[in-house]
Amino acid sequence: MEFFKKTLDPVIALTIIALLDIFLFLVVGAWTVGGGETMMTGLIAKFFMGDKLHQIPFWDIVFKPDATYWKIYISLGMLFGSIVGAFLSKEFYWRVPRHLSEWIMITVGGLLMGIGIRLAFVCNVSTFFGLTPEMNLGGYLSISGIIAGAWVGSLIYKKVLGG
Amino acid sequence: MSPIGQCLAAFLFGSVAGLLVQRSRFCNTAALRDAMLFKTYRNTKALLVCMMILTIGFTAFITVGEGHTMHFDVGVNQMLGLFLFGIGMVLAGACTVSTWVKAGEGNVGAIWALLFTFIGMFLFSLLWSHSYWPPAPGSMDHLPHLEALQFGYANAATLQAKTGIPAIFFGLFQALVLFGIYRAILRKEARIAQEHAETAAQQATTEASMDSGIA
Repeated sequence: MEFFKKTLDPVIALTIIALLDIFLFLVVGAWTVGGGETMMTGLIAKFFMGDKLHQIPFWDIVFKPDATYWKIYISLGMLFGSIVGAFLSKEFYWRVPRHLSEWIMITVGGLLMGIGIRLAFVCNVSTFFGLTPEMNLGGYLSISGIIAGAWVGSLIYKKVLGG
Repeated sequence: MSPIGQCLAAFLFGSVAGLLVQRSRFCNTAALRDAMLFKTYRNTKALLVCMMILTIGFTAFITVGEGHTMHFDVGVNQMLGLFLFGIGMVLAGACTVSTWVKAGEGNVGAIWALLFTFIGMFLFSLLWSHSYWPPAPGSMDHLPHLEALQFGYANAATLQAKTGIPAIFFGLFQALVLFGIYRAILRKEARIAQEHAETAAQQATTEASMDSGIA
């Protein structure tokens, strides 16, 4: 099948995603990832800590672990869709970062993403594909933050690559 | 809709989005990073087109009172949080979407980034349990609380309610602004392509004159 042989134009991909996102917005809410990831964090923590988790107020007041939280399934769906796409296009193979500097950048980057999402209540997906198209004030605040952050990140990235 | 129905709709949406992102190699991080670092706009253009469609679609439905908008108060924490997130996504080389999609392609770095995103979230939950800032959604009243650096709740629906002007008009204006940025990128790409063509032509002329000199 041609679809799995050639790279798809991202404009076409994102146009289809936009139309589906409008449908999702009508049914349950716009595309988002950070909320689902937070709920997964809570569920994983509950698995390891049991009822002790509720001694941390955040998991009682802001995010009560709940496996039927719909946002979790967007992330699991994306993983599933990607696995299907990667296998059918023969693009699945294990890729392991080779340099220590890459591992450090990914570790710090992951931590900053997790902290940033919880501080803002939103991730990049909600910023660009949810809040801003809804013309929410938070969308404009988030976009100014993420552009400044990406700029600082790019400077660090350039410095690390240059070194 | 029942919680199972919601989860199913979310899974279906996620599966198609994951497949399309995998096949198109779209990346939100690249949309910002590549525009800033390399002056290439493949992903930026797709992001803008998507935002234009969404703005018109969402505000059209908001006009008639349909759709589930994101309902919480906003403040300085959105700017700070996404600032940290922006640094993080460039360092990790992936955003929330591409970590899942790259994980599905067997990228161990993306799985590692996901793991540390979860750890980051857990660390923040500990911090929040001391600071109680930003305010929990349950305590939000949609009003500005400047002492807590909170500005309240405002979107296309509140604009419509306050001004009496249908939300779609504001949406069309925003889509027009996004289209203006898209057009500016197209013009910039054309300029870069022209510069490249001129440099190549200049090089060809220099080489030709050198060849004739040797001959």
